[in-house]
Amino acid sequence: MSLNLDPTLGLPVVYLVDDEDVVRDALAWLLRSRRLLSEGFGSADVFWQQLQAQRGGDGAWPGSPVCLVLDVRMPGTSGLELFERLVDAALLPVLPVIFLTGHGDVPTAVAAVKRGAFDFVEKPFSNNALVDRIEQALALSAAEVARRREQRNRTRRVAELTEREAEVMRLVIEGHPNKRIADTLGISVRTVEVHRARVFEKMDVKSAVELANRLRESGA
Amino acid sequence: MAQRPLSTTSPTSSPQSVQRRRRLGRQALWSALFLLLLVALTLLVVLTARHEASRLQEQVDALAADAAAKVRGELLRAQQTLQALAAHAPLPERWRADATELLRQNGELLRIERRGPGWQLGAAVDSPIAPPLFAVIGRSESDIEAAAACAAARRAAAPMFSRSYFVPLAGGGGLEVLDLCLPVLDSGRDDGYQIATLSLPALLAAALTPEQARRHEVSFIEGDGARLARAGVPRGRGVYRADSLIDLPGSTLRLRLDSAAGPPSPIPNLATAAVLGLSVVLFTLALLLARDVGRRARAEGLLAEALAFRKAMEDSLITGLRARDLQGHITYVNPAFCAMVGFTPEELREATVPPYWPSELADTYQQRQASRLAPGAAAQTASREGFETLFMRKNGERFAVMIYEAPLVDGQGRHTGWMSAVLDVSAQRRIEDLSRHQQERLQATARLATIGEMASLLSHELNQPLAAIASYASGSLNLMEQPDADTPAMLRQAMQRVAEQAERAGRVIKSVHDFVRRREQLRESLGVDLLLDAVLPLVRLQARKSGTQVVTDLPQPAPRVLCDRTMVEQVLLNLARNAIQAMEHGSDPAARVLRIRVRQTHERWVTFYAADAGPGIDRELGARLFTPFFTTRSEGMGLGLSLCRTVVEQHGGAMDFDSPVPGTRTGTEFRFTLPAAPALKPAASETDAPQTLST
Repeated sequence: MSLNLDPTLGLPVVYLVDDEDVVRDALAWLLRSRRLLSEGFGSADVFWQQLQAQRGGDGAWPGSPVCLVLDVRMPGTSGLELFERLVDAALLPVLPVIFLTGHGDVPTAVAAVKRGAFDFVEKPFSNNALVDRIEQALALSAAEVARRREQRNRTRRVAELTEREAEVMRLVIEGHPNKRIADTLGISVRTVEVHRARVFEKMDVKSAVELANRLRESGA
Repeated sequence: MAQRPLSTTSPTSSPQSVQRRRRLGRQALWSALFLLLLVALTLLVVLTARHEASRLQEQVDALAADAAAKVRGELLRAQQTLQALAAHAPLPERWRADATELLRQNGELLRIERRGPGWQLGAAVDSPIAPPLFAVIGRSESDIEAAAACAAARRAAAPMFSRSYFVPLAGGGGLEVLDLCLPVLDSGRDDGYQIATLSLPALLAAALTPEQARRHEVSFIEGDGARLARAGVPRGRGVYRADSLIDLPGSTLRLRLDSAAGPPSPIPNLATAAVLGLSVVLFTLALLLARDVGRRARAEGLLAEALAFRKAMEDSLITGLRARDLQGHITYVNPAFCAMVGFTPEELREATVPPYWPSELADTYQQRQASRLAPGAAAQTASREGFETLFMRKNGERFAVMIYEAPLVDGQGRHTGWMSAVLDVSAQRRIEDLSRHQQERLQATARLATIGEMASLLSHELNQPLAAIASYASGSLNLMEQPDADTPAMLRQAMQRVAEQAERAGRVIKSVHDFVRRREQLRESLGVDLLLDAVLPLVRLQARKSGTQVVTDLPQPAPRVLCDRTMVEQVLLNLARNAIQAMEHGSDPAARVLRIRVRQTHERWVTFYAADAGPGIDRELGARLFTPFFTTRSEGMGLGLSLCRTVVEQHGGAMDFDSPVPGTRTGTEFRFTLPAAPALKPAASETDAPQTLST
């Protein structure tokens, strides 16, 4: 099975966080054998620092589908702590987390899944099954990345409307006919029609219903 | 130093001397009291006697004065009568008749005569009621006194009495008489004298009443005390006497009264005193008695209170108290004991064999009691250390008790029985059992945790290389499905990694092996008896719960083995516990015996046997007995026997079992061998030497 993702989203990256070099290297090697890019981190802290650096402040990260394979038990900051930070930073849907659990960690892993982790895999794991799960996680991430990109586009379009256009759009969504809008704003029906056409063009919609749906989706 | 004698002689030095001193003081007080009582009584007697004497004396004095007055009165009356005679009877015939009449009427007048101025006798009349006076001696020879009196009377021209004188009478007797001379005047000239003779005895007789006369002697005496005349009782006692003078014109008479009463007799006084004294003593005794009764009542009250207190104490005790006589019969039990065994005191007292003895142990107890109650055993068993035994409640429930026994000794110091304090320790035993159970479970859990920890560690250590190897293998397979130019190089790399990781896994296994080997170096040469001594207390503790008897059997001297002491002790404990638990259910309590036997079965091997009398192990079970994680108990780990065999095998020995026990039809016998220690070297025997000396 191979991953078919929207190529416009860029190359997917798998982050491997495990204190065991051997396991990390072997897993990286395995992913490479399935043609997946991976990046290894020896501890949760190192990964967190790099993540902070890459994200920047615009919320545009990640530009491509990502996935995190995280060992539960590590010296220093544990996998669970890192997971909590990711939850707090609202990164979960876009950065799915797959836990690697050792002997006796299953209950904590189950709890983590309930809190939003993508899955957990018990060591010793069946390698290709793990890679399959990683690909599924990447697909989820890709969908989330696409959704976020779409949302950013909408926000940008709304921002491009003039003040008058935005007023007209609000009244259109409320379901008023052009005549009423013209009365309300004290302008001619003709002018309203021109504004309306500009709004539809800028928001890339063909009808008022479509406009309302699109705005609802983006949560504006 | 100077204070030392002081301290030794101080009253507080010896309580005995204080007591003696106090007793002496009390005796002195009592003697003083009696002395005072005696003095008082004596004084009483003396004073009473003296008072009585003075009273009598006064009586006598008064009577004497009275008598004197009467005599005087009599004499003066006689004088007046005679004066009347002289004045009214001038004629001789008439005078004679009047005088005679006078004499007849007055017994004390004996004779009246009339004499002329020249002392010539005119006329004389004798008393008709008395014998003639001057029959023995003529009047002329005894008129001297009369003449003197008449001379004095003439001079004084008044009647005069003469001195008394004695007139002998016919028949040898005599009479003391007194003359009264009256000068007779006829028209102013001397006409002679009228003389009357008076009897002194008659005067005296008239002086006393008959009553007085019976108790007194009255007499006229002279100055030297010679009696002139007397009347009354023949003779006074001379104790109470009174003299009284009777003054008469011309003469003086001395009258003496002498009482017939003697000195007062002390007897009646003494009797009075005795009665008085006895009364005092009686009163004192009554007081003492009352005080004694009061004290006794108080003591009785205190005693009753103390008894009630003791009774309440006995009743409130939760310790059972039991008293037995020398034959072992129960004489007393307190409520706590009754509550403990569930029998009433009557049932317990009437029973010949205590009903709280478990029926199956009664014979054993009987023997034990006989040995304990034997006369010679009294001294040995009177120890404060109690012993533990098993009693039975009325409902048949057995329970453990702790008994402390002490000899009962009566007031005369005789040994009359035994007093026992009985403590129900069943609850305590239950708690001990419970805590032991808990501890065992805890230990099992701890063992489990340790094993779990180790398993976790091992699995982690092994997981890493194994996971890596699996990853490389899976990746290699992936690569081989779609080979490209890089594939051979990548495969080589993967195989290298696989080799490294396999080696790493091997190292983990080797380190576990090293750990086991390290323990083998802890082996020491050890006497089998020491091994058993170390585990037997624990084994007995477990055995007591089910009433299992533990019997050990080892040769003397005990063989020595070369072993890891801690591990082998665990093996022994495990086998013993299994044996005890095998007998806990279903088997006859009397038959619950755990036999631990040790024999040197070979020059190089010592064999340990642990045999129980339980139901035995069937063939099917026996086949799986030494399999790890196989168990018949819910809380067991199933590692006991398997570990035991591992330990024994690590020592080079072997472990096996037989069911039933050879030679019987039930039970199981486990046996294992350990290497015998080589013959003792001189160095080793040195360390043993003190032990053999001390035993």
